[in-house]
Amino acid sequence: MTDLNQIDLQALKAGSKRTWDAFVVASTPLINAVARRTLSAYRLSEEDIMDAAQDVYVRLCANEFRLLKTYDPTRAGLSTWLAVVARSTAVDYARRRRQATSPIDDVPETALAVEDRHVEKLRIPEGLLTERQTLILKYLYDEERDVGEIADLLKIDAQTVRSTHHKALLRLREHFREEDPESAKKRG
Amino acid sequence: MTVERNPLSDKELWQRLATDQDVAPAAVSDMDFAAWLEGRLSETAAARIEAAVAADPALRRAALDLADILGKPLPEAPARMAVRAQALVGFEAERQARRGGWLVEFLSWGATLGVPRAAMVTAAVLVAASGFMLGGGLGQSYAQQKYVVASNQATENSSELTALYTTDGI
Repeated sequence: MTDLNQIDLQALKAGSKRTWDAFVVASTPLINAVARRTLSAYRLSEEDIMDAAQDVYVRLCANEFRLLKTYDPTRAGLSTWLAVVARSTAVDYARRRRQATSPIDDVPETALAVEDRHVEKLRIPEGLLTERQTLILKYLYDEERDVGEIADLLKIDAQTVRSTHHKALLRLREHFREEDPESAKKRG
Repeated sequence: MTVERNPLSDKELWQRLATDQDVAPAAVSDMDFAAWLEGRLSETAAARIEAAVAADPALRRAALDLADILGKPLPEAPARMAVRAQALVGFEAERQARRGGWLVEFLSWGATLGVPRAAMVTAAVLVAASGFMLGGGLGQSYAQQKYVVASNQATENSSELTALYTTDGI
């Protein structure tokens, strides 16, 4: 079975039937996995997953493979790009079908929390945190993800995630003059 | 009397902050998102994507899901999925691509060698012109055609005259 990396992209974009067939065989596990994961939040049927996957292939070959011709191998691997395209296509499909619903246990607590309107939220000044610091804090606290998952995603080691998290919190505490609990214990 | 406030934990501090941006960040293209997932972007370019991902819960989840899927072996897809997808492209797609003719194939061949398209077109024109000149060009070709037609006509006339004289017994 041909690996996606072995697919002749020129032949594929030129419409070679044999290359297209090999490409489909090589890519269906990935497209299938992405479609299933994306649509799991929407509680759609097996037929919907099949249709969403077909939508991905339609997009790829439509208008003489116009979308495929936009792929630039110098910027990212074919598998990664296909996975991103598959996800956005599956989301479009789901939105056309129905609203997303998620089991309550899968939703982070922070998303379910009722906002206490008596407490005004403090705005983080622009430039106080870097984009990466904000992203890591959002993953840790809004998404409730662990350090290992974030490290894998950002292609950095876990210690870097912890250190970035720590520096971000120091900046926030310093700016908002919030003492951290450890220092308070030592002082008290 | 002073009341000492209990210090906030990291999570409590974060929850007290308004973390939504006033202005929505720019949309992220599929190609840019893929490059970011692979860690291939420069620091500046990555920062732009990270700002967009941080601001969008759906994009944050997408990033985690895709990283998880791409990082492990995948189960086989239903056979029907491949059959349906393969049926989208027939041999007609290849024939349509070939309809461009020899010039399209020549340009494609040049592209595989990394030769710019303009250079290939110039080369094609030069080859065609040289061949034409070697063949004598338009003037000679026209003259030759006229000679052929004229000599054919002369042959026909001669045959008719011969036939005329022969039948009359002269």
